[in-house]
Amino acid sequence: MSHKVTNDEGMQFNREEEEENDDDGDGMDLDAWERAYADERSWESLQEDESGLLRPIDNKTLSHAQYRRRLRTTSAARVQKGLIRYLYIIIDLSRAAGETDYKPSRMVVVARQVEAFIREFFDQNPLSQIGLVTLKDGVTHCLTDLGGSPESHIKALMGKLECSGDSSLQNGLDFVQGLLNQIPTYGHREVLILYSALSSCDPGDIMETIKKCKASKIRCSVIGLSAEIYICKYLCQETGGSYSIALDESHLKELVLEHAPPPPAIAEFAIANLIKMGFPQRAAEGVVSICSCHKEAKVGAGYICPRCKARVCELPTECQICGLTLVSSPLLARSYHHLFPITPFDDVSPSVANDPRKLPKNCFGCQQSLLNPGKS
Amino acid sequence: MKFQIEDVTVYFPYENIYPEQYSYMIELKRALDAKGHCLLEMPTGTGKTIALLSLITSYSLSKPSNPVKLLYCTRTVHEMEKTLAELKLLHNYQVKHLGPSARILALGLSSRKNLCVNPAVVSAENRDSVDAACRKLTASWVRALAAEDPRVSTCEFFENYEKASSDAVLPPGVYTLQDLRTFGKEKGWCPYFLARHMVQFANVVVYSYQYLLDPKVAGIISKEMQRESVVVFDEAHNIDNVCIEALSVRVRSQTLEGATRNLNKMSQEIERLKATDAGRLRAEYNRLVEGLAQRGNLPISDTWFANPTLPADILKEAVPGNIRRAEHFLSVLRRLVQYFKGRLQTENVEKEGPVTFVASINAQVGIDQKMLRFCYDRLYSLMLTLEITDTEEFMHIQTICDLATLVGTYTRGFSIIIEPFDERMPHIPDPVLQLCCHDASLAIKPVFERFQSVVITSGTLSPIDLYPRLLNFNPVVSRSFTMSLTRDCICPMVLTRGSDQLPVSTKYDLRSDPGVEKNYGKLLLEMVSVVPDGVVCFFVSYSYMDGIVNSWHESGILKEIMQHKLVFIETQDVVETTLALDNYRRACDCGRGAVFFSVARGKVAEGIDFDRHYGRLVIMFGVPFQYTLSRILLARLEYLRETFQIKEGDFLTFDALRQAAQCVGRVIRSKADYGMMIFADKRYSRHDKRSKLPSWILSHLRDAHLNLSTDMAVHIAREFLRRMAQPYDKTGAMGKRTLLSQEDLEKMVNGVSDMLF
Repeated sequence: MSHKVTNDEGMQFNREEEEENDDDGDGMDLDAWERAYADERSWESLQEDESGLLRPIDNKTLSHAQYRRRLRTTSAARVQKGLIRYLYIIIDLSRAAGETDYKPSRMVVVARQVEAFIREFFDQNPLSQIGLVTLKDGVTHCLTDLGGSPESHIKALMGKLECSGDSSLQNGLDFVQGLLNQIPTYGHREVLILYSALSSCDPGDIMETIKKCKASKIRCSVIGLSAEIYICKYLCQETGGSYSIALDESHLKELVLEHAPPPPAIAEFAIANLIKMGFPQRAAEGVVSICSCHKEAKVGAGYICPRCKARVCELPTECQICGLTLVSSPLLARSYHHLFPITPFDDVSPSVANDPRKLPKNCFGCQQSLLNPGKS
Repeated sequence: MKFQIEDVTVYFPYENIYPEQYSYMIELKRALDAKGHCLLEMPTGTGKTIALLSLITSYSLSKPSNPVKLLYCTRTVHEMEKTLAELKLLHNYQVKHLGPSARILALGLSSRKNLCVNPAVVSAENRDSVDAACRKLTASWVRALAAEDPRVSTCEFFENYEKASSDAVLPPGVYTLQDLRTFGKEKGWCPYFLARHMVQFANVVVYSYQYLLDPKVAGIISKEMQRESVVVFDEAHNIDNVCIEALSVRVRSQTLEGATRNLNKMSQEIERLKATDAGRLRAEYNRLVEGLAQRGNLPISDTWFANPTLPADILKEAVPGNIRRAEHFLSVLRRLVQYFKGRLQTENVEKEGPVTFVASINAQVGIDQKMLRFCYDRLYSLMLTLEITDTEEFMHIQTICDLATLVGTYTRGFSIIIEPFDERMPHIPDPVLQLCCHDASLAIKPVFERFQSVVITSGTLSPIDLYPRLLNFNPVVSRSFTMSLTRDCICPMVLTRGSDQLPVSTKYDLRSDPGVEKNYGKLLLEMVSVVPDGVVCFFVSYSYMDGIVNSWHESGILKEIMQHKLVFIETQDVVETTLALDNYRRACDCGRGAVFFSVARGKVAEGIDFDRHYGRLVIMFGVPFQYTLSRILLARLEYLRETFQIKEGDFLTFDALRQAAQCVGRVIRSKADYGMMIFADKRYSRHDKRSKLPSWILSHLRDAHLNLSTDMAVHIAREFLRRMAQPYDKTGAMGKRTLLSQEDLEKMVNGVSDMLF
């Protein structure tokens, strides 16, 4: 379980998951105190203040930050957003990624967060694609090409977790820039860099590379794991990305997941465009056919490309034969909701929440009971 | 914004003001009201300059019947330009709000090197040669000659300026050096002489310390300043050293050789003059008989050096008879130079007071005190008579006469020290005869006496009660301000132990201990791996830096450091250091990261800023005490103890800590910046050392950070850097207000006015 308890809300949320776990039978005999030890990491929710006293982590600033974030997302309504995103995640696997200030080590934590991010990303942006790149020994390694399948990315990432050498921001950017340049103009080019190191050993002038990235309209965002580096800040400023530094693992998670919803499109980048898409039918149930994506005979459900009638296994994808973008309408709808976010809502204070008379009994959207959260 | 401080309406060119600027202005205003001197310490990056300028100009605007003049002294030309730029902004604002009545004349004055527009002159390589080149074109006899003979070249800018004579004035406004040059080029007037002329009429003059403190220069430039002036010494933490420098003379064997050459040339000139124009020499003789050392009112271009002693000490007597004749005077000088040569051949270090020195001169070469005293004036008169323009060439003999006059005038506060070789390099003979001034109050005394208010201000003046004793004056206000910050953006730490928990120090007995060197190396290594971009290290001396870098190199630590960051080193060569700094900045910019090794009291420690990513961390290795075996220092300490009852230890600690504070203060230059400071020596944790740090550092030095070892420091650094990288609210909404608007100030004045600090 990767959740860490940061505030009361989170705690409740956690319990809920635990209860689900209990049904599986493995956490059955954990007592409450053991649970607090094993799962909630309660010691991590304490903080030392200036005089050395322990106190709980300041929930006020956290909720303040959350509030501000919500305001930001809502105020950004009606802003054009890039729905079809081509995102490269650059993971720094240099020497610094082996440091253990995050437990067990920076790279493991990063990999864990990237995994969660990839799932969340495809959940929110079904039409988009991700590629994975690592920096190691001053060289850039491409783990996966751009693709829409979360599983293949995660598998590739988990298989390659070792760190050594220096990292070169310039090499990474150059590489990614070369790849992203081939992307059709309607796609939004983004790079998310998870940077452990505190320096960048470059073969040439990184300023040139940053200029090139800017010219190719690649939005670069950096999440640092230890401290603010000038060149990263400059890169983000120039290309319109965001730069943030993680305080701890939960903060890192928050920062990474902030990149899941599509960012507002920068006006000059966004050219309104018509895109040709196919909506394949689910077909050929129980029939043996040759799958165009795996190049082998498969039994069972697949989709048929409406143009060339080739069989593909999953959506969204690009047809291997005719190159048509294949999506399904629910995917399109899911992406679409980013354009019309829910209207801002007011916090309900706990005292009101406990007073059943003043509240509707069920959520108007999903019909879950509001009185007994967690039990529908 | 504009607001009231008591009866003065202050015009401040920005929308908001920091609370500390406001209280700074209040204190300053009170000092001006009391017509007294004041001592104010406020950290850099809090807008000291603009607070000073806007209060003083507003003060003089509010009292139109008796406006005060502002003399603003800076250390460097760069600071001068910055100050003038601020003033320009302020002036525009004031004119906008008050109309043309608020117009003032403000200008910067610098040497010819910075102001000259004559391409032939300004191309000379250093200051002295520019001065000499200028005199060759503008001396009165050269111009007189040129009037007859068109082949003699003159400076057209100076000629135009002279022609315009009383019309040559600057219209009101604020002139930076650049503006002056542009104006001069436009009008064809010499900006240097124009500026020197206009200084008397200007409301604000920005110039260097020397123009007030060095009697040689002050006698010419600042003679005419009225009493109703406010003198500001900015960045004045080293003002005592500037004062001492102004009255100290150093003679090496090269100087003596040069002086002999000068004398030969002068006697040739005299011979020539005797043959061609004996009348001139006789005229000089007659003038000297009448007791006029100088030729009455000299044209502006002929004055170059005034007497090196302070105005009050110049004798109003006739030049003694035995040096009135040029030949006699030359032979006196020759004997004097010969005497110095003899003294320099000594093999032991000698130290004596001025009285015994003069007595021994009298006994050996028969020059008495009175003759010595008149040397400078007599030389000056002779050089004018001989119409010598190449002052650079005659520098050596001037130095000799300088020394002679000083030694003949003062009996206290000076000593003569002759060293046959440098203490640190005993194999190389390098004899030097030094006249050292020990009393900083001598040079600054006339300034305190002449002007109604003198403001001494800097980022580091702690402990603030020592300066009045060193400079021997009574401030009406002396205060130290802290910085109001929205977040704790400086993080000072005292590191007492290395990674093996053994104490670290640069104390004499621990200095060469390999364990300490290793611990320092480990500290730096750990730090470069957690601190991004730039790291600056200060060592106590060049030799210590050489030694420790060598040992790090041998033990491979340096190589490990280079894996994280590039290493740059300050050397005594200015060009090399500039290059290193340039590359250091580039390495910080491109993300490679760099470490700069530098020396406390070096050039870098005084004038170069390592703000933002150029310096996220500064490590002060050791306590930068002065070289305590130096004779000059020992003599000064003795004098301080006897005269001002300042204990040796107190002065040394004070001096070391102000240097350390200067070094670490380089790292933070504005409130939006952040940086860490590590004092790596166990002695910093002692109260007597620590308490002498400026209060703005002390207030951020937590008790928990007073006795750290390397690993703890690294942990704190990590946390600090993470915290500082988070976005923050610049206006300080969380209860700490660091920016005050006009309404806030009005509220404060009406309500409780002392809610600040």
